[in-house]
This record gives sequence, structure tokens and C-alpha cells, in this order.
Amino acid sequence: MDVEGEPFDRRLSRADMLRLAALAAGAGVVAGPAAAADAAIARLTKESGRLQVMDWAGYGNDGGQAMFAAYVQKYPHNKPQFASPMTNETNAYGRIRAGAQPDVFRPYVGWVKFFAQSGLVQPWNPKLISNFDHLNPFMVKAGQYGGKQYGIPDDWGFDAILYRSDKVHPKANSWGLLFDERYKGKIAWFDDLEMITIAGLYLKAKNPWNQTQTELNRSVNFLKSKKHVARMNWSSETDLWQAFGSGEIWIAYAWPNDWVQMKKKKLPVVYMHPKEKPIAWVGMFMLLKNSPRPHLAHAYVDAWSSKRSGKWLEDNYGYGHANIEAKPSSSQLLKALQLANPKAVTLPNAYLDRDIRQRSTYANLWEEVKRA
Amino acid sequence: MDVALSANGRRTMRVFFALVIVFLYAPIVILVIFSFNKASVPTFPLSGFTLHWYHEFLKNGDMQAALQTSAIVATISSIIAVALGVLASIGLSRSRFRGKGLVTTLVLVPLVVPLIVLGISLLLLFHVLGVQPSILTIMVGHVVISLPYTVLILMPRLQQIDSSLAEAAYDLGAGPLTTFRRVTLPLILPAVISALLVAFTTSFDEYAVASFLAGPQPTFPIFLYSALRFPSQLPQVIAVAVVVITLTISVIVAAEVWRRRVEARLETA
Amino acid sequence: MGRGEAGLTAEASATHAAAPAPRRRRRLKLATPALLGLPLGWLVVFLVVPAVIVALYSVNELSLFPGPHSFALGGWYRLFHAGYLQLFWKSTEMSLIVSALVVGAAYPLAYFLALSGTRRKYVLLLLLIAPFLTSYLLRVLAWKVILGDTGVINTFLVWTGLQAKGHALSFLLYSRFAVMLVLGYVWLPFVALPIFVTLESLDQRLLEAASDLYASRMQAFLRVTLPLSLPGVVAAFLFVFIPTVGEFVTPSLVGGTGGYMYGNQIVDLFETGFPDWETGAALALFLIGVIAVLTVVFVRFLRVGEARTA
Repeated sequence: MDVEGEPFDRRLSRADMLRLAALAAGAGVVAGPAAAADAAIARLTKESGRLQVMDWAGYGNDGGQAMFAAYVQKYPHNKPQFASPMTNETNAYGRIRAGAQPDVFRPYVGWVKFFAQSGLVQPWNPKLISNFDHLNPFMVKAGQYGGKQYGIPDDWGFDAILYRSDKVHPKANSWGLLFDERYKGKIAWFDDLEMITIAGLYLKAKNPWNQTQTELNRSVNFLKSKKHVARMNWSSETDLWQAFGSGEIWIAYAWPNDWVQMKKKKLPVVYMHPKEKPIAWVGMFMLLKNSPRPHLAHAYVDAWSSKRSGKWLEDNYGYGHANIEAKPSSSQLLKALQLANPKAVTLPNAYLDRDIRQRSTYANLWEEVKRA
Repeated sequence: MDVALSANGRRTMRVFFALVIVFLYAPIVILVIFSFNKASVPTFPLSGFTLHWYHEFLKNGDMQAALQTSAIVATISSIIAVALGVLASIGLSRSRFRGKGLVTTLVLVPLVVPLIVLGISLLLLFHVLGVQPSILTIMVGHVVISLPYTVLILMPRLQQIDSSLAEAAYDLGAGPLTTFRRVTLPLILPAVISALLVAFTTSFDEYAVASFLAGPQPTFPIFLYSALRFPSQLPQVIAVAVVVITLTISVIVAAEVWRRRVEARLETA
Repeated sequence: MGRGEAGLTAEASATHAAAPAPRRRRRLKLATPALLGLPLGWLVVFLVVPAVIVALYSVNELSLFPGPHSFALGGWYRLFHAGYLQLFWKSTEMSLIVSALVVGAAYPLAYFLALSGTRRKYVLLLLLIAPFLTSYLLRVLAWKVILGDTGVINTFLVWTGLQAKGHALSFLLYSRFAVMLVLGYVWLPFVALPIFVTLESLDQRLLEAASDLYASRMQAFLRVTLPLSLPGVVAAFLFVFIPTVGEFVTPSLVGGTGGYMYGNQIVDLFETGFPDWETGAALALFLIGVIAVLTVVFVRFLRVGEARTA
């Protein structure tokens, strides 16, 4: 069911008009005119059932309820139903190919092109998202492909380095800290092919996201030679927090939320802004092509994109939110994570994560490093 | 004089056994300790006693849903596994036919298939058939895993009971179903219950295969694993685990004791 | 008397003669092989067919990606040429060590329970097995707490002064050692069972006879008990070796960079980075193939062993 430019243009029959009026009247008594109109339209276009959402752990009913509370209020009969959390985009892709049918899911910015080209998703209609104009334009652009809005940005943050300021001397400011022999056994890498990109970034490859064969060989051999300084490759934040909290790890590839959590444990930690520049990521909501609930999906994403949801995210998860009006309660957080900088995710501040043309090669190479 | 162990030997063994028991139960004791710990990530030093996590778990709808899903999957899959196991055991224990060895092997093969291979192969099967992962798919996987255990429990018991009893009933005019219901089943009932329990606990705690075959409703182990990945739920999960462990052990112990009593009684009867 | 009686008797004997005959004709075997239809059917659909499908994926006859695809041996080629076999050997080596150690530890336990004549042997056996029935994932998590740098072991060592503060034993966690320790821990209870069963059915009179013949306990053990319990030992070994070779959960939780195992590689090919179901399927088939061969070899060995001791 294609969404772009559609139902508002549809000619309403007389019966439809009456039905719409009746619904609006009835719903209006309960929820107010705007809600009434929305609900009425949803009913009219016969979207029913619960909205099927495939999201990451912590963003569903397991802690993320505040992000879509407004949606639940408006559409109590279409409350979101969360599939088992996506562990990564590959997992989501496999599940969707096998026939899973979420209405929305949330890959990150580096996968926008892949999914846009896969034929599995359809573009959004920004006109149906009231908060769209408040979203950071750089991030919005990153969600476009072929001129269409395939991804709606919502959360964002950095990939950088978290380290114990009391254990690391002198102060470090480079990605090289992840490969530093002095801290052998106290370092945690991230279990993802992004390490190849980071190696490329550190070794000054021309385009770390599309390295040449020579550059790739150099990156892989470098990682293999440095593997012994890394005690673990973390893939779940619990692992990271537990290891950091118990002092097993002093230095790690980390996201802003990890810094927030370690500070909560009263650890002296620094979230580094590497001189080679951190990588920035943005979460992108995508709409499945044959979703029977496109309007509900838009409403859901709209709730997510609101200023209030943004503030909650920043206060609780330490991640930025694409809505430029969302500001966290803590000014310290604001400064540390550059939440007030609308250009935080692009140069000159950071490299925005992007599509990797040779992704399967990168995947093979990272697995090769792990096997070594 | 003891022919198997000297006095010294026996003492050493006792100490060794005790050490092993300590080794086996230490992590469980750790879990119990941390279920009462204030901090939300389990690290030493401890930060204070609290019953908070037990309260939280009682309010945690998602966790209870996961427990419920696991209970449903375990119940249904164990019933199916035992039903199939009874059929297979009777078929294998009483008759002789060509290919019996092959059939026995096939029935026992899931024991030697690593769970990861089982999980992936079923995932691919359902992918090809276009079947969405759901609690039904998990159930299917669990039946495959449990079937060999049920057969291994039921076969010896079937071979143990006097087959002439069933033959006699049959000769007296009872149909095969009646014979089964009134002669065989009561005699193998303790083994059936054992098999049900083994299949149930196997399914309830199973993570590897379920992780490949789960749909929107997670089972408890899957919920556990994602709690290990996303820490806010972890302390409640530990509290639940302590409860589940206690319950499991009590049930198993009670069932074993009951089974042996009943079987002993049936022997003397 | 006369014809009446004779008639009666004749009638009676006639019924007697007639009755068994129809029953014998109708008689079905109580335990017909047809009973196996349902269980076999289940296994064929949910075990054999999936195995075939895995094989088809491994040669690209079936593929995750839409579009044309045909038979290709790329997956198998990569299996043998891209370093996967070294990883397989590493995992097998770890499993062999764990299995040997666990069986070695379980044997004395089972021996003690079965042959020392304790009256509470079943209770103790249950005590031994009970942890196996509790949550696997959480027991692994508990080990993380015990083995960590500020975990039970390290803080104990610091407290007793055996270790300087800040020099924690870091090989304990996030290492191959941790994987082997935890796997051994998980499987130890389970492994004691087959050995116990075999030893329990051992005829003690054999040992008495050996003692009568002036054999020492050690000699009796080596020449009577051990050989007779070998099937149980082999079964126990397989019970732990087979699951651990393909393990991926424990290595991912406590393995660190050094504890990456074959099972993790298979999961990664399906679930992370970029899906490569072709190679993943080949790796999975290779694993099951090796295990099948090993199992057959061991079972043959068992049969031969049985024949010899019989």
C-alpha cells in the first residue's frame, strides 16, 4: 500500500464523509480534534491491528515506552507490538527476508542505501510527520536515497573512545589508544566490521568506508598484529559496563551512553574526541514496503520525533536526538555530547557513518581478524 | 572388606565429592547473593541488602510474559515429545524388523547434533516454507531435541516390565488401545513422568535453538540473554532465576523420590 | 446321556476348537513397527529435510538473496581455504581437553557413588545433577562475577596477601581458559550420569572374585572395573564433546578475543556483519559431518569392546 501523496487526495464518497464526521465527533469527545481526525483517517483507511515494530533492545516495552507514549495515547487500539529485538541489521535483514513483517524497523545510517535498494522498504511521506521540520537537516539528508526520504532520523551519537582518566597517562586524543601496547589487556574493541573502518581511519586511508585492496590488507594486518592488546570484543553494553565497572577494562570503543553510565558509577572517565575524528551514527526509522499500517507507522515515528521524546532520550540514554529543539536537563551533558551543535554529526566535527560498498568483504576480513 | 574402596580411598573420595559440590553450587550461591544486592550490575563489592528486585520482577510484565511463553512451549513440546517417545519406544522395544538399527539411530541422532546446527537447519527450513518464527517453531525444535531423551528413559522401563502381562491382557480379548491404557501405561507411568520432566526442563532452559526460531514472543532464556545485553533488567532477572532454580530443584527432587517409590511398589506388586 | 450328552460335549469341544482359530487370524502384533510412523515422520520433516536444506544452501542452490543463483562451491572452497579449518581445529582441541578433564573428574565421583555402598547414593547423585537443571545463562554470568579482576577469586587473593593489589590474574576471564572452565563446569554433572549407570550395573562379585585371587584394589580396578565401565566412559566423553565443539554462547560471554570458537563463526556468518549463508551452511555441515564420523567410530569401538568382554 503506497503512501506517498495518497489518501488526502483520495476522493471521499458521501458515505465516507458521513462516516468520517461521525467518527470525528465520537473520537473528538474523547481525545480532541486533531486526534479525532487522525483516528478517523486511520479507521477510514482501514488500518487495524497492532503496529509491528522491530527495534533494538531498550526501545520497546523494555524501557523505551516514553519515546512513543504519545502514540499509545492517540491509538490505544493499535499499540505497538515489538518483535524480538534486532541484534543488528544483518539479523533484521535475514528475518525480513524469511518473511517477518514488521511495519517499521530501525537500521542505522550506514545501511540506508542497502535497504533502500533492497526493495523491502518504501519511502516516508514527510508531510504526514508533524515534527519533520524540526529534525536536524544534516541527518534528514543522510536518510535520503534517490531523492526520497527512506529513513527518518531519531537518535544519534558518536563512536569514540571511553577511558579511565586515572589509569591512562598522559591524556590521550587519538584512535591509536585502542591499539596502545602500554595498556595491553585492558582494552576492549567493538565486535563489528567497523573496526576495519576505524583501522583505516587511523592508518589514514583515503576513504575508510571504501578502502582499496592495499589499504584493506594494511588495516587487517594491523588489527591482527594488535589483537593481543584487546582483551575482548564487546557486542552487548552489559558486557562493557560490567567489565569497565569491575576494572577489567580501562579503554574501550564506546558510545555516549556508555560514558553516562560509567559516570553514574562514579568512575573517573573521559569520552574522547579523537583527533582523527570520531564516527557519528544516526538511527533511521524505515517503513516496510507492504506494510498494511503506513499511517500508524507515520504517527509512531512522529511521536518518536517529538521534542518531549527527544528530551527523554537525552536525559535517560545519553544519546542525541534529531529534533533540534530537544534539550537535555543537564547542561554538562549538553556540552559533553555536543547536543547543541547542529553540525555535530558531520565534518569538521565527525565523519558520519555511511554505506560500505564492499560490506561483505569487510565482514569477511573482520571475521578473519577474529579467527587469527 | 570393601572390594572397591579402601578406607583412605573412601575418605579421599568423600572430600573430593564435597569439593566438587562446592564448585558446582558456588555460582548458584553467588546468584542468590546478588539477587539481594542493591547495585544494578553484579560486581563486587556488594552494595547493600534489598528485596527490591524481587518486587520489580513481580511487576515486570515482559518477564512474566517470557516465563509464561517458556512454560507453554515447554509443556506442549514435552507432551508431544513424550507421546512420540512412547510410540517410538514401544515400536522399537517389542518388534523386530529390518532397518531397526537405522531407525534407532535416527531417533537418537538429535543427541549428537550440535544445537547451533539444529537451530540453523530449522531456521532455513522455515525460511524455505515461508513459516514465520513463533512459539510453534520453537516447539518443533524442542520436540526434536527432547525426543531422544524420552526414548532413552522409556525404553529401559518398557524392556523391564514383563511383556507377558500385556500379551495376557491381549489374549483375554482386550484391544491394543485398552491393553495400553490399562496395562502398559500404568506400569510405565513413572518413566513417563520422568520423561515429561526431563523434556520440560530441557525446553524451559533451552537458549541456542530458541534464539534462531523465536518470533515476537521471547522465551525466558531469550529474555535472559537480552537482559545480559541490556543491563537495566539484569537484577530482576537474577531474582527470577533464583526463584526458578529453587522451584526446579524442588520439583525434580520430589519427582525422583516419588518415581522410585512408585516403581519399587510396582515391583513388589 | 446318549446323543444329548454327546451332542453337548461335541458342541463344547467344537466351540473350543473354533474359538482360538478366528482370534489367531485376526491377531495383530501388539507392537507393530507402524507405531514408529509418527515419530519417524516428525524426525524426517524436522531433522532430515532441514539437513538437506542446509546442504542446498551450502552449494547456493538456495540463497538468502533474491535473483538468479545456481550451483556453486564457493562456500565449501572458502571453508577449506580461508582459515576456517584452523578455527575448527582450535575449537576441537579445546573440546577435547575439556571433555577429557571433565570425564576424568566425573569418573571418581561416579565411582564413589556407585561402588562405595553409601545408602544415600541416589540423593547424592541428584545433588550432583541438580545444577545442570538450572539456568545455563545465569550460571555463566555468575562465573563472570567469580573470575573477574575484582571478582571473588582475585579479591580473595588480595585479601590473603597472596597477590598485590592491582595485579589481578587476568587470564581467568575473557580467555580460552574461561571458556574451558565454564564449559567444564556446565557439563560435569551431566557427564557423571552414564558412568554412574555403568558402574552401578557392575557385578560386585567380580571384584570380590578378584580380591579372592589376591588382586589389590588398584589391580582390580584396572583390570575389571575400568574395562567394563568403558562404554559408560565413552558415552560420557561424547556427551560433553559433541555439544561443546559447536558451542557459541559461552565463548561469546566469557571468551574475549582469544576465546572465539567455531560456533561463533557460524553464528557470525548468519547473523552479523553481512549475511553469508552459503559459507555458514557449509561450516555447519562440516561440523555435523565430523561429529557423525566420530560417533560412528566410537560406537563401533564400543561394540567391539563389548564383544571382547562378553
